[in-house]
Amino acid sequence: MTAVQQSDVIVRPRPARRTRTHLPGRRAAYGYILPFFLVFAAFSVYPWLDTAWVSLHDTRLSTYDQSSWIGLENYRNLLTNHFFWNAFRNTITIGIISTVPQLCMALGIAHLLNYRLRGRTFFRVAILMPYATSLAAATVIFAELFDPNLGLVNWALHTVHLPTVDWQGSKWPSQIAVSTIVTWRWTGYNALIYLAGMQTISTDLYEAAAMDGAGRWAQFRHVTLPGLRPTILFTIVVSTIGAAQLFGEPLLYHNGLPDGGTQGQYQTLGLLMYQQGWTNDRLGLASATAWTMFLIIVAAVGVNLWLSRRRERHERRPGGRRRHGVVTAGVPEVTAR
Amino acid sequence: MPRSSTHRRGAALLAVAALGAFVLAGCGSKSSSDSGTGSADAGPCGTTADTTLTVGLFGTFGFKEAGLWDAYHQVCPNITIKEDVVEQSADYWTRLKTRLASGSGLDDVQAIEIGFVADVVQNHADQFVNWNTVPNATADKAEFYPWKWQLASTSDGATTVGLGTDIGPEAICYRSDLLKQAGLPSDPATLASKWSTWDDFIAFGKQYDASSTKPSGSHFVDSAASIFSTAVYQGDEAYDNADGQPDVENSDGVKNAWTYASQAAQDGITAGLAQFTPAWNKAFSSGAFAALACPTWMMGYIQGQAGDNYAGKWDIAPVLPGGATNWGGSWLGVPDKAAHKAAAIALVEWLSAKDQQVTMWKDGGHFPSNSDAAAAPAVATAKSDYFSNAPVGQIFGDISSQMKIPPIGLYDTQIQQALTTQLTNVETKGTSPDDAFSAALDAIKQVTG
Amino acid sequence: MNGGVLKGSRTTYALVCLITLVSVFPLYYTIVMASHTNAEMAASTPPILPSLSFFDNMKKALELAPLNQGLVNSLIVSGTITFGTVALCTLAGFAFAKLRFRGANILLAICIATMMVPLQMGVIPLYMLMARLGLAGHLTAVVLPSLCTAFGVFFMRQYISSAVPDELIEAAFMDGASSLRVFWSVVVPAARPAMAVLAMLTFLTAWNDFFWPIIVLSTQNPTVQVSFQSLATGYAPQQSIIMAGTLYGTVPVLLVFALLGRQIVGGIMQGAVKG
Repeated sequence: MTAVQQSDVIVRPRPARRTRTHLPGRRAAYGYILPFFLVFAAFSVYPWLDTAWVSLHDTRLSTYDQSSWIGLENYRNLLTNHFFWNAFRNTITIGIISTVPQLCMALGIAHLLNYRLRGRTFFRVAILMPYATSLAAATVIFAELFDPNLGLVNWALHTVHLPTVDWQGSKWPSQIAVSTIVTWRWTGYNALIYLAGMQTISTDLYEAAAMDGAGRWAQFRHVTLPGLRPTILFTIVVSTIGAAQLFGEPLLYHNGLPDGGTQGQYQTLGLLMYQQGWTNDRLGLASATAWTMFLIIVAAVGVNLWLSRRRERHERRPGGRRRHGVVTAGVPEVTAR
Repeated sequence: MPRSSTHRRGAALLAVAALGAFVLAGCGSKSSSDSGTGSADAGPCGTTADTTLTVGLFGTFGFKEAGLWDAYHQVCPNITIKEDVVEQSADYWTRLKTRLASGSGLDDVQAIEIGFVADVVQNHADQFVNWNTVPNATADKAEFYPWKWQLASTSDGATTVGLGTDIGPEAICYRSDLLKQAGLPSDPATLASKWSTWDDFIAFGKQYDASSTKPSGSHFVDSAASIFSTAVYQGDEAYDNADGQPDVENSDGVKNAWTYASQAAQDGITAGLAQFTPAWNKAFSSGAFAALACPTWMMGYIQGQAGDNYAGKWDIAPVLPGGATNWGGSWLGVPDKAAHKAAAIALVEWLSAKDQQVTMWKDGGHFPSNSDAAAAPAVATAKSDYFSNAPVGQIFGDISSQMKIPPIGLYDTQIQQALTTQLTNVETKGTSPDDAFSAALDAIKQVTG
Repeated sequence: MNGGVLKGSRTTYALVCLITLVSVFPLYYTIVMASHTNAEMAASTPPILPSLSFFDNMKKALELAPLNQGLVNSLIVSGTITFGTVALCTLAGFAFAKLRFRGANILLAICIATMMVPLQMGVIPLYMLMARLGLAGHLTAVVLPSLCTAFGVFFMRQYISSAVPDELIEAAFMDGASSLRVFWSVVVPAARPAMAVLAMLTFLTAWNDFFWPIIVLSTQNPTVQVSFQSLATGYAPQQSIIMAGTLYGTVPVLLVFALLGRQIVGGIMQGAVKG
């Protein structure tokens, strides 16, 4: 088949010297996406829409066939529900505490692993181990570490004559403890992604910078970081979505109770939804929470993208260097936490 | 380019696929796996054909460990039994509800716990075999404690969804060595007289906590929740009124239990531990507390946590402050859609029979709900080496014959969780009992709607 | 130009060793927990070394729970999901990235939108759908919903649109290749690193999935996470047996990591972002 079909709008903006590209395959394209969409429509879109439908009803699993239509009442309930706002605030604070240091440490670890080290493949696999360890086992261990009376952390604080902390009961310490578990689990994964991005930065740039007299730190700031910008954006967006939906770690931190501590001090939106849907058997309310989380995530990702576009526009000054790597325009990733 | 059919085609593709899914989910014939109740000549095993029965359980049962599946295979060689286990009863209940709502995927036998039996009776009674209508109905009913039968029945008694497995009569388990060290009496008989009311129990606790010779850092009772969860069932009402509707504020059981529990918390005689957490598990050997409310199944739990080194250090007082009551217990039901109904019915009847319930007691500390079994010598004269030779059969047998059980309702588990969580705040954060109670009511509102 | 710019110093080694220790310690401690009884772990100074009872506990775990069956089923399920995901999502990602067709943006937007809604609540309608299809209790019911996720499509789309130059594809088309041939000879080799990464992530996620399998499967036909449910029995669950069983179920994942470690790490490093 030699026919080249007329294409529609061009994928990316191109410099004017090129003619329109001809990328054929319209009919073939539908064939390629069909298997995906069949599966997707039946098993993702359908439950997704059903959740929206349920959120407009007063539904309980025990009386599933007797649900009654209540319109937007569930959403109104959430807006005036202090449990919802508590979870919302907690999700933001835990999200920031668990994401920002994590990504910074991941950057640092990637930088370390970029050096020529003996056995570096072993190290690179080792930092992925947290991602492979069962979440239940890991949380048990961390909960023991943070036990107010018997835990290692308080014992260490005590030994250096610092006041011990109530890692379960108080608000900020418990959020820090939960964030620690999250950080432990995901830092290695993000570090490997950064490490990958680093491989695409040409050594010439480092040599040039070194010749200009830049030390290691300056090289990091002016060669490594700019080259990693698309990767950093990717991980920020991915972690935002993950942080917004966080529920596994805080659930197991309170021994499987979804209340986020005796005063809800670390109840996230994900936990609240779990509690409403499964513990309290209020499926309609939980579905409304799920869709509200959707709006929040869209807003958060939108803000992230807007901020990054602004920065890029600032840096696309005339005569500015072309970025290494390509702008990956926001790759939201839902990783099951 | 004009908006051509190709644009609409993409959207149409999606719509068709999604619609297809809706249609599939919305209609479709129900598969009729109803094999009927079998012919009358099917024999005592319910069927003569080779059958595999699936038994849906949550983690705590122990039929397999007691060898009952093998034993049944001897009795009915054509029947093989396979367990279908979910560890946590909450996860099990979610899964059971989903299957009941969809009407498929149910096992031949499904366990029902006291935490959700009210829900099954109220919302799903028509999806389970009614034990009042099976051939052996009268004989079955006569075996059990009346209250045990009643809890699994509708209020008019017309429908009963399950036959009882075990019950949980409560006494007080305590560390006799710790009490001795504190200079307090530690023999069961004396303690029984000193612990007959909650006021006495708490006063004794204050003595323990005030003792200068007790182990440092040790408190008398494990948690205020221990007191609350026991006392709440000692009134006329617990969490529900006589109609089975949740009514926490006006319940006498809740009022009394809350008063005693907060008093204990504020008097500082509790260790402030949350029950069934790793820290609580460790405390059985560490001595962080000296006593706790102890249903029969707690004995095995204590043994599993504290280990052999503490055999003989634990003992049981033949008393429950405030009056005899129950914690826990389950039933076995047969879904109407079970693939092998008659065989399942036969199995459940066999499991609830006196001999098997005696075996479950001897093997795993599950106290029989079958009153004949409870009176059997093997049960009535049982002693526990671990618990300093306490006559456990007699202790718990006496208590179970005196128990009274207030009405249960749909949300008891969640309501109790909300209240005991707030008690932890009273114990560990100095929250005032009134504030804590309001916070609990707030959380309860989220459950009841 | 791969590999270190500079040679690692002593501080670098020290730091990296520390990080490795922190990453691996909980896994090690799981082995310790699997070797001691509840009472031993409850001692005021808990043990820090494993013991030989580890193997006894492992044996007991295997007796209590259908771990081997769970492992095999999980391998089947995770393997199928991984294979299907990589195949279908690469195809679909290629179509979205390089082939122009009406409705692409809308469909992609719907894809992304579904990823942003937590799908936990969807478990119930999904179960009813599976029941209607007669798939409840079968491994197929676990495979199908994950067979091609929006994440996979989006991941591959992003990667292919930046890693495979349009010129290459144009040239192939001009040479008379069909789109399938273009896919196979041009796109797949370029996308291989991303496919490896996607495979690894998908395998792990499918392996660790608990919530959906516990609803739709039973102990008779379990994946490995469902088989763990039988480990805590009776009123006195032994943490050592639970941990031993959990470790047994993690070993294949570790093996996959070890075997593909170099590949995958290489894969990630070669391809997360291409210049």
